[in-house]
Amino acid sequence: MEAALIGFAAVLILVLLRLPIAFAMGLVGMVGYMLETSFRGAMSMVGRLIIDTSQDYGLSVIPLFILMGLFVNKGGLSRELYRVSYDFLGHFKGGLAMATIVACGGFSAICGSSLATAATMSKVAMPEMRKYGYSDSLSTASIAAGGTLGILIPPSVILVIYGLLTETSIGKLFIAGIIPGILGVLLYLVAVRFTVARNPDSGPSGERASWGERLAALRGIWAVLLLFFLVIGGLYGVFDFWPLNLTFSPTEAAGMGAMGAFLIALSRGSLTLKNTYEVLVETAFTTASLFAVLIGAWIFSNFINLAGLPQALLAFVNQSGFSPFTVMLAILAVYIVLGCVFESLSMLLLTVPIFFPLVTSLGYDPIWFGIIVVVVTEISLITPPVGLNVFVLKGVVKDVPTATIFKGVTPFWVVDIIRLALLLIIPSLVLFLPQNM
Amino acid sequence: MPTRFQRVCQNLAFAPSLLAAATLFALMVMTFSDVMLRSIFNAPIEAATELTRIFMAIIVFSSLPIISARGGHIVVDIIDPLFKGAVARLRDGIIFIITGALLIWPTQRCYVLAERARDFGDLTEYLAIPQYLITYFITISTGITALVLIVTGLVTLFAPSLIDYEGGASSESEPS
Repeated sequence: MEAALIGFAAVLILVLLRLPIAFAMGLVGMVGYMLETSFRGAMSMVGRLIIDTSQDYGLSVIPLFILMGLFVNKGGLSRELYRVSYDFLGHFKGGLAMATIVACGGFSAICGSSLATAATMSKVAMPEMRKYGYSDSLSTASIAAGGTLGILIPPSVILVIYGLLTETSIGKLFIAGIIPGILGVLLYLVAVRFTVARNPDSGPSGERASWGERLAALRGIWAVLLLFFLVIGGLYGVFDFWPLNLTFSPTEAAGMGAMGAFLIALSRGSLTLKNTYEVLVETAFTTASLFAVLIGAWIFSNFINLAGLPQALLAFVNQSGFSPFTVMLAILAVYIVLGCVFESLSMLLLTVPIFFPLVTSLGYDPIWFGIIVVVVTEISLITPPVGLNVFVLKGVVKDVPTATIFKGVTPFWVVDIIRLALLLIIPSLVLFLPQNM
Repeated sequence: MPTRFQRVCQNLAFAPSLLAAATLFALMVMTFSDVMLRSIFNAPIEAATELTRIFMAIIVFSSLPIISARGGHIVVDIIDPLFKGAVARLRDGIIFIITGALLIWPTQRCYVLAERARDFGDLTEYLAIPQYLITYFITISTGITALVLIVTGLVTLFAPSLIDYEGGASSESEPS
């Protein structure tokens, strides 16, 4: 147990010294494994992991879903989604911020990444909100918070990796993310209303759109709605009837989604040979960096398991007589603290191998825990000092001080905590859909 | 303005980038066709699974040397403001060299595993592609990555003008 804890501390220190996360985890895992076994044993493990991970069939979901998001984005979806949300919500007080939240939710249904969602929506929504005189704190905060939905509303790269790590069904995880995701959108809308109620000048209303305009805007996004329905419906088994008999594995769903997105973008004339190539290369590079981290994490978790940390933790909890709920609260506290330092994927990879056996042996549902972990990760994305989404936004709107963004984020952060509490107390919010699959 | 050295590097990166892009595109089209053929004609592409595995290895390992050289690995940069100028350069150079050195042993091990696969004559199930070819590809790419990282580190330390160094390796953070 001591060895594992020292290893954990070593990873933290190396990562803070800016060693890439993949290498920090790989190095510590390799050395630790070597001390527990032998040099040869450690090298065999590392070699095998490098070769096997890169040829893992299940992991092919990752590039395909990333590709789908990028292609849809090239097709101009973000602007159209914002248009639709604006036409329906813009005339309310704080309507543009509400439209931003809804558009972020919609974009998350195609994109599996929170940072990408925030980055994309900020380019579309920020100029509009500025035009209507929205306060900097409300406009940036609504994008930063709305962007976090990217990893919860399916598809989600984080949920894919959680699923592979814990051998939990990725399809069920995706389905389980839907209700908490919608709940997130609704609560963020409440947060916008609250902000506007306190300071009406921060979010004036925009122009009211006619129903004709609304329907016209909806026409712009029907193809994408269809694509989402195809991908998630296919996973859920909606098309499993004669003559289609289609049920997708996650890889197949991702492949269909990517191809569909490619065809949509192509039919709109927004793809050239050059930008298609750029999208493909960007996806390949992102995939490679994710795989590096995955391999590093697997090396590290092999060492952690060999050193017996999960078992020791379990024995400790059993002896201590803490209730499962107390343990869960302690775990969530660890996530919130780690989330202040780590980006989401590395945090997940570092912690899940340790906590997952503990949580499941306490009787919690693996799917429920996956969603809870993602919701906590979402919170960490907008928590100071290193809420990554806030920094993504800062990169796009350089003139707004970070403190202003964090101040605006506060009501969103509060409703996030409320959502987390709701999911803790009422697990069926998460489990209802997957259990009825 | 890219320096001449950087232009040479960009040209070197073109072929593997193209390979990764083309393989990814093929993966997408194949997965789509497999589903379509299966549901409409009841004739799935039987080799799809093993091709997916091979394609994944190609996508990841043709990109790996490039993202490594560009400092594209995921890092935590919250204490970056503490390092400035020459100190940051020293840190970056050392980190490049350490990460490169770390890959030397795994490369050797991959080579051993590739040789073993060749001795055993392992073939893939449907297309009978020799396994060792894939493992060799992974080995070579890991080796190149190690080399590229060490060279980048040395250049950062001793010849920063070659890469127009501006303090802090460019970190292209991943989306997650």
